[in-house]
Amino acid sequence: MKQLERSFYSKTSMYSFFVIVLLFFSMWIGTSQFKHIDMALIGYMISSFIFAIGLTVRMCSWLIRPATHQVIKRSFKNLKTKERKKRNIKSIATTAFENIVLQKFIFKRGLYRGIQHFLIAWGCIGSFAITFGLTFGWMHFDLIDPDTYQIIVMGIPTIIMPAHGIFAEMVYNGLNITALMVLVGVIMAITRRIRSKDVKVTQRVEFDLFPLYLLLAVTGTGLLLTVLYTFLEGWMHPYMSLVHQVTVVVLLIYFPFGKLFHLPIRPLATAVPLNYQETVKVDTRACLKCNTPYSSDDQIEDVKGILGAQAFDLKLADGSYLSDYCPACRRRIRVMKQLNMEAPLGNPYDPVQTRNGIHISGFGKKRQDEFYNKATKSDSKQEERV
Amino acid sequence: MNKIMYLEFERCIGCRACLAACRECGGHDAKERNYVEYVDFMESRQTYPMLCMQCKDPACARVCPANAIQITEEGVVLSAMEEKCIGCRNCTFGCPFGIPKFDFEENKMYKCDMCYDRSKHDIAPMCASVCPSEAIRFIDFDEMQELRRKRTQMNLIEGKKPAEHDKWQYVPEFFGVYSD
Ligand code: SF4
Ligand code: SF4
Repeated sequence: MKQLERSFYSKTSMYSFFVIVLLFFSMWIGTSQFKHIDMALIGYMISSFIFAIGLTVRMCSWLIRPATHQVIKRSFKNLKTKERKKRNIKSIATTAFENIVLQKFIFKRGLYRGIQHFLIAWGCIGSFAITFGLTFGWMHFDLIDPDTYQIIVMGIPTIIMPAHGIFAEMVYNGLNITALMVLVGVIMAITRRIRSKDVKVTQRVEFDLFPLYLLLAVTGTGLLLTVLYTFLEGWMHPYMSLVHQVTVVVLLIYFPFGKLFHLPIRPLATAVPLNYQETVKVDTRACLKCNTPYSSDDQIEDVKGILGAQAFDLKLADGSYLSDYCPACRRRIRVMKQLNMEAPLGNPYDPVQTRNGIHISGFGKKRQDEFYNKATKSDSKQEERV
Repeated sequence: MNKIMYLEFERCIGCRACLAACRECGGHDAKERNYVEYVDFMESRQTYPMLCMQCKDPACARVCPANAIQITEEGVVLSAMEEKCIGCRNCTFGCPFGIPKFDFEENKMYKCDMCYDRSKHDIAPMCASVCPSEAIRFIDFDEMQELRRKRTQMNLIEGKKPAEHDKWQYVPEFFGVYSD
């Protein structure tokens, strides 16, 4: 592997190369040695290759980040551990179903947003699946007799269907259905972006709005094509199909570099139940100071590792790390440090000592100076004992 | 933005107006992002307000596997980008000061963003604009320096001297949260 890697400019270019080879190979099989290749789709094909390379490059640069690398490394380690098999399967299944298929957490952020995202997400995934299936020739239709079609997937004949049946209509109109889903979702999203003042605070035109308008252009022109050939006998059809092709090419090339890239990284959410919190809201590691459970051992180990890899020195004088304490204790540690009243030193029931000697009076009572002096003495005695 | 957040813990009277104000800020979804807690409940009822430091090199963003925490050009560290956050809570444990909060229902992290829509136009964040005792202030950098100098002078007048290797003896108990 090391030897092979050295034949390439970098690891990323090696992976890109293999992705392209794999795609070509799948095309070769799917189109039975390029016999069924659809030359009308050549523009889509080339941009799909660029899309694949872009995606690989982005994935690699994302995985190089110390934080991502650490989490992925632990995920793979856990996936290989036999004893965790049950937990692994359960985490993958629940994340895939609740988080990715149903997108429950987005519905919790609001029904409107849930519906909008669900429509865009599944519309896009469906459209991409159909587009790639056809452009790479993974799937095509064969006429076996005048009114029967057969779907050929990867050169293997599968479902047979009557040419005008309901199922067949659904297959032919697949792209129209998914495009309609995206169209509705995108219009909902644009409306929200225009109306809600809250989202405007951090929204950026090129990041949050451009992809929406791009999707609108792709689905709009795509659906217009259908309208043109069903109702207007193909009027302006060749021009429109060119415009549509241009929008799709832009989308495919943009995809790996913009907001839409959150789609391929979403499966990382599996790492949460897999590595860290098996059951939601159940923590297993206790805070070093107050003993409240706040995280899990593996997670704190990872956090320390990631911070260490990036030269963050968050080690305290007593050898513990700030991440060993629960967030509430960490806030208190910060304040106590500022006020020079660190809790681990001395008796917590003794009076508070401050740097400048100005004391906060307890419950409105002014205390004699002697009271504080006594405490200082008992402090130093304690230190001697230690 | 040339203003800074300036906290003086010992000025806090525990009225929690800052929490209420934070809930009102646009985009905060009626959930507060700052904290008011007791310093040492056994000794006194002294409370302190706590906000995000808006670190220059934020540990929270560094430990995020999804790269979801973005920093604006003014230096404000924003809440997780909703589409990227995978809900792992690494940021909560990586932050040295225990600031990021986590919403299990909506599966996303949210944290103090200095009321970005206000502070980017040099308007005081909600908490600073309501604090009655000036424990939280949104002031000019120069004003902060002036306050610090005054504090030091007072210490000298009172006969306190800085200990060796310990500037806190000399310039005690306050600090600024600032971005430039
Ligand atoms: S909870 Fe979200 S923002 Fe925080 S580290 Fe995890 S992915 Fe990043
Ligand atoms: S959340 Fe914590 S680490 Fe992140 S910027 Fe604020 S204080 Fe710094």
